[in-house]
Amino acid sequence: MALYFFTPFIAIILTILGGGIIFYILGFNPIEALKFYFITPISNLYGFSELLLKATPLCLIAIGLSYCFKSNNWNIGAEGQLTFGAIVGGGVALLFYNQEGFYILPLVILAGAIGGMIFALIPAILKTYFNTNEILVSLMLVYVSKLILDYLVVGPWSNPEGFNFPETRQFSDSSRMPLLFEGLRIHAGIFLALAAVMLSWFILYKTYLGFQIKVSGLSLKTAKYAGFKGKTMILVVFMISGACAGLAGVGEITGPIGQLHRMISPDYGFTAIIVAFLGRLNPFGIIFASLVVALTYLGAETAQIFLQIPKYTGQVFQGMILFFLLASDYLLIFKVKILSLKKNELRH
Amino acid sequence: MATDLRISNISKIYPGCIANDNVSLQFKSGKIYALLGENGAGKSTLVKILSGVISPDNGEVFLNEKNLKLSSPLDAKKNKIGMVFQHFNLFETLSVFENLSIDATEDNKSLRVRINEIFKKYNFSIDLDIPVLNLSAGQKQKVEIIRCLLRSPKVLIMDEPTSVLTEQETEELFISLKKFCDEGILIIYITHKLKEVLSLCDEVAVMRKGKVVSVSQTQNEKVETLANKMVGQKLAKIKKKINISKNKDEIFKVKHLNFYSDDPFETNLVNLNFSVKKGECLGIAGISGNGQNELFQILSGEIITPNTSIIFRNKEIAKLNPKQRREYLMAFSPEDRISQAAVPELKIYENVALNNFKASNFFEKGLVNERKIKDHSKKILSDFSVNTDNVELKSQFLSGGNLQKLILGRELITAPELLICYNPTWGLDVGAINYIHETLIKINDQEKSTILISTDTEELLKLSDRIAVIYKGKLSKIMSSEEVTPEKLGVLMGGGSID
Repeated sequence: MALYFFTPFIAIILTILGGGIIFYILGFNPIEALKFYFITPISNLYGFSELLLKATPLCLIAIGLSYCFKSNNWNIGAEGQLTFGAIVGGGVALLFYNQEGFYILPLVILAGAIGGMIFALIPAILKTYFNTNEILVSLMLVYVSKLILDYLVVGPWSNPEGFNFPETRQFSDSSRMPLLFEGLRIHAGIFLALAAVMLSWFILYKTYLGFQIKVSGLSLKTAKYAGFKGKTMILVVFMISGACAGLAGVGEITGPIGQLHRMISPDYGFTAIIVAFLGRLNPFGIIFASLVVALTYLGAETAQIFLQIPKYTGQVFQGMILFFLLASDYLLIFKVKILSLKKNELRH
Repeated sequence: MATDLRISNISKIYPGCIANDNVSLQFKSGKIYALLGENGAGKSTLVKILSGVISPDNGEVFLNEKNLKLSSPLDAKKNKIGMVFQHFNLFETLSVFENLSIDATEDNKSLRVRINEIFKKYNFSIDLDIPVLNLSAGQKQKVEIIRCLLRSPKVLIMDEPTSVLTEQETEELFISLKKFCDEGILIIYITHKLKEVLSLCDEVAVMRKGKVVSVSQTQNEKVETLANKMVGQKLAKIKKKINISKNKDEIFKVKHLNFYSDDPFETNLVNLNFSVKKGECLGIAGISGNGQNELFQILSGEIITPNTSIIFRNKEIAKLNPKQRREYLMAFSPEDRISQAAVPELKIYENVALNNFKASNFFEKGLVNERKIKDHSKKILSDFSVNTDNVELKSQFLSGGNLQKLILGRELITAPELLICYNPTWGLDVGAINYIHETLIKINDQEKSTILISTDTEELLKLSDRIAVIYKGKLSKIMSSEEVTPEKLGVLMGGGSID
């Protein structure tokens, strides 16, 4: 049990070591490079605010995904749900682009959550009533939502005064997340994420729904035998998961971005899958994991500036985290035994 | 060249059960041998030892007087022992030829020639280039057999080969097996179907509880004599007092229960009709895989079948799920206690919460009432003498017997009117078995009813008031337990008919 929560730390240490080796092979001083990657980005207040800014959507999405993953539902399409939430929320914000009012932001946020929820319902309904595979459907819907967004920002929703740039109007200030500190980009969305963590802890560990999710995740046969309403539960976990992703999307467009354009998310929806597993699908573990993974985004940007290496190294680090997490889980649970097998024995 | 396979004093002991107890057998080529026995008699263990999957604790295997060291399936292959398992080991998406060429040593061209020779010799015809998933169960089995034949085996072991075959396919298989036998391949045929033994095999060895109880020529045997040997005549020492309940009310009545499945490893159920009276135990006997799984799941509500009528305490419940059925005071104890009746990773009290009644208030307004569940769990642990009082313990640390006591306790503490249990004592030690048997008798004494689906005939004869046998998804007539004898059960379980 202790090991179960310990392996994420082993994975992180191995990732840092692995990163050092890669930097060394690329011809950099590994210590220097790792410092640029993991220390420099958060060595000042601005950097720290950026860390929280990036961790917010990751945390929100991963919390939502944990409902699905805990109950054996493999929702891989959070990126699509994020995008669709941003489209619906952004649509509402654009309706009010020239208006002011305290009621606008809550409406936009609500619309975003509903958008994500509806989009997540598609794979859920197809799974429960038509027996489709939710992995494929949710994944393919990511591309659908991205193309819808593309169409909207190029076509009907593009800014009439925008010189044909693929982007919408700027949202009015009433549709923007309030900033927490002057001059920093960290915004009130972080409270949404923290509220989601608290609420999820309560739901997952203290309610009948949470109990059903736990049992279904451990044994679907038992869930069936106990008479849980399997179909309803699938729909509910997908809706929660989609709503969280939708919130993350709306947080991005009403927070740092302030309009809709093509690149509203650097694959937060996919990276959050890593966050969810690194956090052991535990709400508080996910807070920690989202900070670690957010750092790889920041580190990649610093490394691009100071070391002239592409910022996609961030994805290399994220991949390594997942790889080492799975590997250490595997190696700690199973005993490795090396068998000698002569070649000619196989031939018989 | 003649082949001679000798098994000498093989023993294999698992914790709490002797799978093979000093087994010695001798086989010679030119004959087809049957290895007959009930579930758990030790056939599969013996076969796994012969195919190198497990190693025996004691004993030796000789092939033509050479002592074989079988420590892996590769050793069996090397020594020309071929196996066809009940469940196929084929890659569904690869073609027949690709499946056959995976572990071949020759090039594709000469392999194709050899396969075609085998086809011609034994009158097989399968398209080599279609994916295996398009084949019928019988054809898949042929592919497995061809795979063995390609290695020119001396010994061919068939493990319950007809369980997934149609009558027609079974006949074809028998013709092929007789041909192999004529060519000098030694065939060992594992089964629990009596008729097959008589129509196919020359010699039969019967196993019971890990021991070989008889070896004989099949021409000297009849269905009844074999059944007798397979089931054993030893009757239970404590037998339940038969409930004289001729005039009691029927509390449970099943009509037109039909189930059809596309999965070849599931059994279709054909028009089952039966009823259970108050205070009665209805036993359903049968060799496993004859539809008991499906029947249990339909009775518990995990599978809902159309057009079936299930009346329980004068209400139609056929469309209700297990939770709803529990509200009407039914309780269920499935066969698989580790991954269905309970979850090993959950704590004891969490497993108790799986049987969740409205009246028990485990979850008030959707919230977990941990205290209530724990109090309830403590009562179960002490009432059903589970050897712990720690409700926070993970269930995986309970022994099989204690876990079963916990499950039965969870199901019974709500005083259900009908308990449906499926193999409640498999894998348990004698003490736990006795405790569970006493518990089941006690429920009947309290005028509550039970349906006992079991593959253990001794248990059924001990506990049931009436017994029916399920064979290939069909239910025999229901007999009162006074008229039932182990022989009759054995005949019906093996697919024979009585009177």
